[in-house]
Amino acid sequence: MDVKGKNFTRFLERQQAHNVQHDARAEAKQHSKGKLTAWERLDILFDEDTFEEVDAFVTADKSDTGFGKVQQAFGDGVIIGHGLIRGRLTFAYAQDFTVMGGSLGSVHAAKIMKIQDMALKMGAPIVGLIDSGGARIQEGVASLAGYAGIFHRNVQSSGVIPQISVILGPAAGGAVYSPSITDFVFMTDQTSYMFVTGPNVVKEVLNEDVSFNDLGGAGVHSKKSGVAQLVFPDEENTLMGVRQILAYLPSNNMENSPEMELSADETSDVEERLREIVPDDPNKPYDVKDVINLMVDKRSFYEIAENYAQNIVIGFGRLDGKVIGIVANQPKVLAGTLDINSSNKGARFIRFCDAFNIPLLILEDVPGFLPGIDQEHSGIIRHGAKMLYAFADATVPRITVILRKSYGGAYCVMNSKNLGGDFNFAWPTAEIAVMGPEGAVAILYRKELGASDDPIAMKKELAARYRNEIANPYVAEERGFIDEVIDPAETRLKLIRAFEALETKHVDNPARKHGNIPL
Amino acid sequence: MARAAKKKQSTKLIALSATNKAYEFKKPLEKKIKYQGKEVDIKLHEDPKGFSYIVWKNKKYMLDVIEKKQNRYTIVVNGVWHSFSVETPVSLKRKRYLEQQADSSSAVSIEAPMPGKIIDILVEEGAEVKEGEPIIILEAMKMQNEIISHITGIVKSISVKKNESVMKDDVLMEIQKG
Amino acid sequence: MKIKSLLIANRGEIAIRIIKTAREMGIRSFVIKTAKEPNAWYLEEADEIIDFSDNFDEAIPEFLDIERIIKSAKKRKVDAIHPGYGFLAENPDFARRCEEEKITFIGPSHDAIYRMGHKTIAKELARKHGVPLLGGSPGAVRDAEEARKIANQVGYPVILKAAAGGGGRGMRVVSKEKDIDRMFTLATNEAAKAFNNPDVFLERFVREPRHIEFQILADKHGNVVHLGERECSIQRKHQKLLEESPSAALDPALRKKMGEAAINIAKSVSYYSAGTVEFLLDVDNSFSFMEMNTRIQVEHPVTEMVTGIDLIEQMILIAEGEKLPFAQKDIKLNGWAIEWRINAEDVQSGFSPSLGTIEKISWPESDNVRVDTGVRDGSVITPYYDSMIAKLIVHAETREKALQQSSLAIRKFWIKGTKTTLAFCRAVLQNSNFRKGNFNTSFLSKELKLHYHNEPDEALLAAFFATYDYAREINENEEKPLHTENGKSISPWVLKKRLR
Repeated sequence: MDVKGKNFTRFLERQQAHNVQHDARAEAKQHSKGKLTAWERLDILFDEDTFEEVDAFVTADKSDTGFGKVQQAFGDGVIIGHGLIRGRLTFAYAQDFTVMGGSLGSVHAAKIMKIQDMALKMGAPIVGLIDSGGARIQEGVASLAGYAGIFHRNVQSSGVIPQISVILGPAAGGAVYSPSITDFVFMTDQTSYMFVTGPNVVKEVLNEDVSFNDLGGAGVHSKKSGVAQLVFPDEENTLMGVRQILAYLPSNNMENSPEMELSADETSDVEERLREIVPDDPNKPYDVKDVINLMVDKRSFYEIAENYAQNIVIGFGRLDGKVIGIVANQPKVLAGTLDINSSNKGARFIRFCDAFNIPLLILEDVPGFLPGIDQEHSGIIRHGAKMLYAFADATVPRITVILRKSYGGAYCVMNSKNLGGDFNFAWPTAEIAVMGPEGAVAILYRKELGASDDPIAMKKELAARYRNEIANPYVAEERGFIDEVIDPAETRLKLIRAFEALETKHVDNPARKHGNIPL
Repeated sequence: MARAAKKKQSTKLIALSATNKAYEFKKPLEKKIKYQGKEVDIKLHEDPKGFSYIVWKNKKYMLDVIEKKQNRYTIVVNGVWHSFSVETPVSLKRKRYLEQQADSSSAVSIEAPMPGKIIDILVEEGAEVKEGEPIIILEAMKMQNEIISHITGIVKSISVKKNESVMKDDVLMEIQKG
Repeated sequence: MKIKSLLIANRGEIAIRIIKTAREMGIRSFVIKTAKEPNAWYLEEADEIIDFSDNFDEAIPEFLDIERIIKSAKKRKVDAIHPGYGFLAENPDFARRCEEEKITFIGPSHDAIYRMGHKTIAKELARKHGVPLLGGSPGAVRDAEEARKIANQVGYPVILKAAAGGGGRGMRVVSKEKDIDRMFTLATNEAAKAFNNPDVFLERFVREPRHIEFQILADKHGNVVHLGERECSIQRKHQKLLEESPSAALDPALRKKMGEAAINIAKSVSYYSAGTVEFLLDVDNSFSFMEMNTRIQVEHPVTEMVTGIDLIEQMILIAEGEKLPFAQKDIKLNGWAIEWRINAEDVQSGFSPSLGTIEKISWPESDNVRVDTGVRDGSVITPYYDSMIAKLIVHAETREKALQQSSLAIRKFWIKGTKTTLAFCRAVLQNSNFRKGNFNTSFLSKELKLHYHNEPDEALLAAFFATYDYAREINENEEKPLHTENGKSISPWVLKKRLR
């Protein structure tokens, strides 16, 4: 081919036309809003020089609907493609706010659907970088159909390949449903927001004044609604966070998560400091994250949804380099009780781990469910059942360690033996009972306490006896509901061995289309 | 498919102090910093007991990371603590831009400086407060501490009740500046 | 009657201090274990532990449970109890119960504790024995109204003080009449919580006095000596931050006068054991009696360093009925001692407590440096007790030298894990007036512009350290290789599960 001839010249001209689209002015505009451009984001997300774009030259249909001219741009406002993240094939789409405001038209949507299909075919994770003004109004129902197509594929891929949404700008109206179906939603502080109905409509319909950030900013979604599980102060950290979480996930539901070597400073598996964290006094709070950090491989705990329903802690960790999912009650928030939000938070995470072959570790210190009219009327009954269902339905290895309290229904819910727990351990500080000692003796000895002249002292003494004789973990150990009461210092060692033994666990649930989890 | 050549990712990082002073480090992992125009080596050591220290101008300075959340650090050096957020050049620009945009009449939250019990709330929602005025009595470590407002404005909302126990950094109330 | 066993009803550094002397004297030491600090260091230093850790009831703090302590002491047949400072040290009921149960109380008689403990009674005794006083309310003030009346008479500023205790709690200065109601409420509430007694009395407030206290030792045979003064003017909200002995403000004549006044106070209640008489010293060298602390004090080490006398040992000997082995003329003050209190407090945030775990602590051992501490690697500073980490005491021939040694010692005192008041100590050492010995109780608010000392390059080093740590973490996260299953053979059993 003649490099100065017509064929090659035309090829180069088209390349040039495409480059011109990504000009400095557009970049500056994006930067001036405190945001990065789509290309810059992809550069950070993917390993250096591994991203290959697909469908770069696709453009919108030329027909003019009369409701405003349809702009034409190569790519139609979204970049799709594949690359390597830490050496592993990953697919992604990045909406480009500098091209038609990143709005979603039928071609834009078709591109996203294309990459979703590809990811599903290749069995690799897909990451969506969302920064879009919303549906392209000029294209009418075609835009909406585009969204529906994307949602459909989100659902098809759910539980097959990991799907991650990173909100780096606006995501409004119907556009927010795709992220909420995906497995994890990342947001950046102050420059990203999600809501179904924006402040303008809220003002019009309800005459309420609210800013974008107050209605659907990162703070709102990470603390109040629980829609976003991971929030970072800026875009680089957000994208690095995505890279980090992918290291814990398998590429698809047929594989195991990748293993990682232990750090050079990983010491012996006996950790004496674990003995000191949980106080003997069952009412003294402590931070369960201190326990988690001493149990898993050093610095391997990656917490998810840190600011939402803080009375339960979820996240990934590694034991001997292998990934586990951790669900732990947090005694220093709401005394570690379970409530509606924490049940939801826990249940979804358990379902995710089950879908993707990630074994579960449950650290239990729960006095029960949060009492109150509010909780009851809002349906704690069916929300609490979610977590119970999720545990029972999970066929991945699940191990429970009872750190301290485990009363009543909450004992059953937190992966008890008869719910299918594979190994159930308890620490010497464990208390397993139908209800707390004080409540129990108040009922059992009601007559005697009524007749006594110092009921307070009597109750204290009886509660201490109850605690000693009935609530101690050895009763459960003798009946087989606890496999072993272990030395906290040896927990790490016991868990590594237990998970190793469970590696080939294979359980079949009865054949059915799908169960009916309370929603 | 060709596109604009990608910029090589630089390793430059900037530590931004609480007083908005920016300290730039081109290659922090190489332990070199720019001091008075010259490049100087940082001698960072760990002593056998586990303390980290830097030898600087022939004196030992002990350093400790006392708090770390994502990229926000509090470092204690020789007993004095300094707070920083570690930024890349881009994220620093972004931070500066966002600060400009921040609404000057936004509400400021007053947080609990330590865990304790709310003994008394001295203002009501909608009341005017002046800088330096006491607004809450918090009992901690057996002392009654007066929490003082550090801005002048109107009490926007009160998030705590009398006799409630609070943890450190819990939001006690919001005051609208102005 | 020799004491062979001693129960220390206290914790932390003072427990360890008392155990040390007990050990030297061949006395068996007993301590109390609480659920709040089951792994504290003082427990390991003692010979025997009395376990109160099944008590999860916060309504009765272990160290204030008089009956339980006495019962345990009797059960273990302990000869004596040392209350340390704080807790029950100045509780006359406790001392009385010990006497009733024939347990030797290492301290004064319960009557002396009661009378000196009640500020108004103490002042009356001082007046009777010709010791100078400040104007104010004759007794406890009934309400804010009465406080206002007396304050208006005596003249502002005035100070409201808890009648039943000290240590800065239940104390409020009132500079203007309009503040009297609010301050009265604050002071009485705090006093009620801290000492179970809401009584406060009112005094004229001397704006910028020096706080000088005299250490007293007296035996049961009527012999009383003073061991010189301690300069305690550097305070924040009436809590002492550092102390020295002797004081740069006293010459031998003034020392003699004040010392005699202190001895008179002690004699007025037939005092025996160790005690401290507190005075306020005005610029014209006039002094007035404040109160007497009928216990061993936190800052006793500085007196021990300059006199060479072990005060705990003397307390025990006095309790055994021994006569004082020295007379006033034998007491000599050698050199200069300064005690720096190192607390887990955030100086930059107004000295708020900085709770947490002391990961590591280390200081240089030296002849002129003494460190009294109850804290070691891994100790936890809890919200249940005070925030003291250690007392760093420096002794040298002159004040100049003591200041130099202090600089070195503070610099080499390394703590990892919490914020501390070390930078405050450095700030004090930098202050020229402090170095000249020119200061009074207004030092902190007036003299010290910045409550922590900052060297110019420190911020730069801290910034570097943060950046280095961050860069290293990112690097670590990225560098570790991921091992996927590519190329590995998978067992058929596992494949079967996956192909479902």
